[in-house]
Amino acid sequence: MNAVVTAQRLPVISLQDVSFSYEGGIEALKRVSLRVAKGEKVAVVGGNGSGKTTLAKHLNGLLKPSSGKVLIGGQDSSRTSVATLARTVGYVFQNPDYQLFCTSVEEEVRFGPHSMGLGRDDESALVERSMKLMGIGHLREQSPISLSLGDRRKVAIASVLATSPEVFVLDEPTTGLDTVESAQLMATLDVLRSEGMTVVLITHEMRLVAQHMDRVIAMSEGSVAFDTEVEEAFSDSDRLRRCKLLAPPITVLAQRLRAQGALSKGAATPLQLVEQVVRVRGERR
Amino acid sequence: MTRFNDLYSEADTFLHRLDPRVKMASVLMLSLLAFIMSSLAYLLVLLTFIFILLLLARSSYRKTAFAMKFVLRFMALIAILWPLFDPSGTPVLIRLGPVVITEPGIWRGLTSAIRVGCLATVWYILIFTTSQRDLVRGLVKLGLRFDFGLALAIALRYFPAFGTVMDSIIDAQRSRGMEFEKGNIFARARKYVAVLGPAIVSALKTADMLALAMQSRAYGARRNRTYLRELRMRLSDYVALATVLAMFVVPAVAKYVLSVPI
Amino acid sequence: MVSGAETEGALDDEIDKPDGAGFVPPAIIARYGVLTALTAAVTFATFIYFAPTKGYFNMGDSMVFFCAFAFGWRAGAICGGVGSAVADVLLGAGFFAPYTLLAKGSEGLVAGVVGRLKGGCKLAKVFGVAAGGTCMVVTYLLCEVYLLNVGWAPALAEAPGNVIQVIVGGTVGTLLAWYVKRVYPASGAL
Repeated sequence: MNAVVTAQRLPVISLQDVSFSYEGGIEALKRVSLRVAKGEKVAVVGGNGSGKTTLAKHLNGLLKPSSGKVLIGGQDSSRTSVATLARTVGYVFQNPDYQLFCTSVEEEVRFGPHSMGLGRDDESALVERSMKLMGIGHLREQSPISLSLGDRRKVAIASVLATSPEVFVLDEPTTGLDTVESAQLMATLDVLRSEGMTVVLITHEMRLVAQHMDRVIAMSEGSVAFDTEVEEAFSDSDRLRRCKLLAPPITVLAQRLRAQGALSKGAATPLQLVEQVVRVRGERR
Repeated sequence: MTRFNDLYSEADTFLHRLDPRVKMASVLMLSLLAFIMSSLAYLLVLLTFIFILLLLARSSYRKTAFAMKFVLRFMALIAILWPLFDPSGTPVLIRLGPVVITEPGIWRGLTSAIRVGCLATVWYILIFTTSQRDLVRGLVKLGLRFDFGLALAIALRYFPAFGTVMDSIIDAQRSRGMEFEKGNIFARARKYVAVLGPAIVSALKTADMLALAMQSRAYGARRNRTYLRELRMRLSDYVALATVLAMFVVPAVAKYVLSVPI
Repeated sequence: MVSGAETEGALDDEIDKPDGAGFVPPAIIARYGVLTALTAAVTFATFIYFAPTKGYFNMGDSMVFFCAFAFGWRAGAICGGVGSAVADVLLGAGFFAPYTLLAKGSEGLVAGVVGRLKGGCKLAKVFGVAAGGTCMVVTYLLCEVYLLNVGWAPALAEAPGNVIQVIVGGTVGTLLAWYVKRVYPASGAL
């Protein structure tokens, strides 16, 4: 492995033996260890109550571990304020209404970089770039609260993006979006990744995971049930069922075809399936 | 923030079975009783009685501790502050510049603390053993207009939910680099708008949805609303009511008619 | 019970009129319900972050003033008064609830009347906060001295805290009313 690749693979976030209990005594995380490397696209999946959101809130220090250690950009989360960690990790909440409070979209996007005290020029550049990336430039004068849910979510993401974090954590960002809106959102995430940003996506939508993510961390009853590459994640249907998950139809179709001997490899997206079929036909001809 | 948990817990004690109206009357009677008594000894007896009732409510240890934390803190505050501000009477125990602490001052402080303890604790008997539904229904039966009762029911129902909403908003703003522990009081007030603003908007949106739900369920279709399960006073309810009434009337008569110092 | 500005919407009228039952329209019931809940929740929750005195200082007044300025004296009196009283019951100061109902209810009522004079201009709001706040502080003072019988000294000792609470709560409440009117005009807030 050459030096560049090694540098890229340095963990931005690492959890060592992290356990966490809420006030009532419910143990929401049980000895979780994992590392997220720079530039990775990680999906965190699992049933409701499996500990996904609790895990995510450890990634930017909103929750501090009851035992174990969380390192974010080399800083111990227990000893660092959320405000400081927010420079490394941006967190987009599931409900944009909890985040938006300014009277115009531009002001909203500007709030983060402004409170971090960047210079005025840097600030404006970041604001413009984030609004352009999320395609909300034309809404700048409007009140964020009066926008549609899809647009509100874009504003929420842009306002976190403007703080230029290294890691982007999104909690179920596609809930309530229509098909076109969620496709747009995922396309934007692809752009972010191409700019070297690390993306952690918490979601229920396995189709999006299969199409856009590299790695899957499945949570079940507060523990990591499995942590694999996306293709392998969907290969074991019994294991998925135990985690209250279901593979997307394309993956299942590819698996069935493979079991019949019609394909040599699995597929996670329609495109991959087509490639597989074309290749097999080419081989047989 | 202090996490709120519903202090009512499901159980089958005689306090739970009692008609909510009787429980409300009891809280009122026992509170008035605490007001008319001025002897430390009798107030202690009353406090003990209220504590026994509280134990009979069989609430969980956690909820009782939550309630008692507030009550005891308040009692201690009064017992300590009273003698500092009440220099009347003799003998004088301590004289430190303008601060004069006298023995009667200490006794009066203790008496006041115990009285406040009675007043505060007696509420928990009602809150621990009466569901929100029964509470509102009791008030409506006592003459509160049905629509006002409904507004109160909505308020009680959404109170814990808004606590959670505010928690989430605070988390969301902290994630964007807002620091709530920093700045002077007016800088904090501005940050506070960033929490309360979204909370209010979210509450008003909830209200709009609720109004639609109420209309779709024929709210206001008829004036004299009936209930599936009517509140009805049983013999035990009358016995309890008579007992508490006697507990108030007898000392009241003794004090104000017979001039017995209690 | 229902003022002209608050009964907008044909649905409300339809439900309200045919049988002449005289119920408060559902939109108002729901709004008063949630604002009462929010007032209680804010009173209950806020003293952690904003407590210079670590005592009974809280931001509940900001909600009382908000309700009064945004939705009028009725909302100020009912949501502010009942919401604060409910918080008292839940905080273990249930015996204080009747006084709170009176103190915060009058605060909301007076602030709502004064603060909306001349279309709710800035000066009206300043006077609204001052007049409403005075009502609250004086009501608590008199109740503590004459009804709870705690003596003048401890009652007066509490007054400065209440005054600070009014100033901060009034500022935040005014900002909130302006904010909600601006970002969510559909709510009909003034």
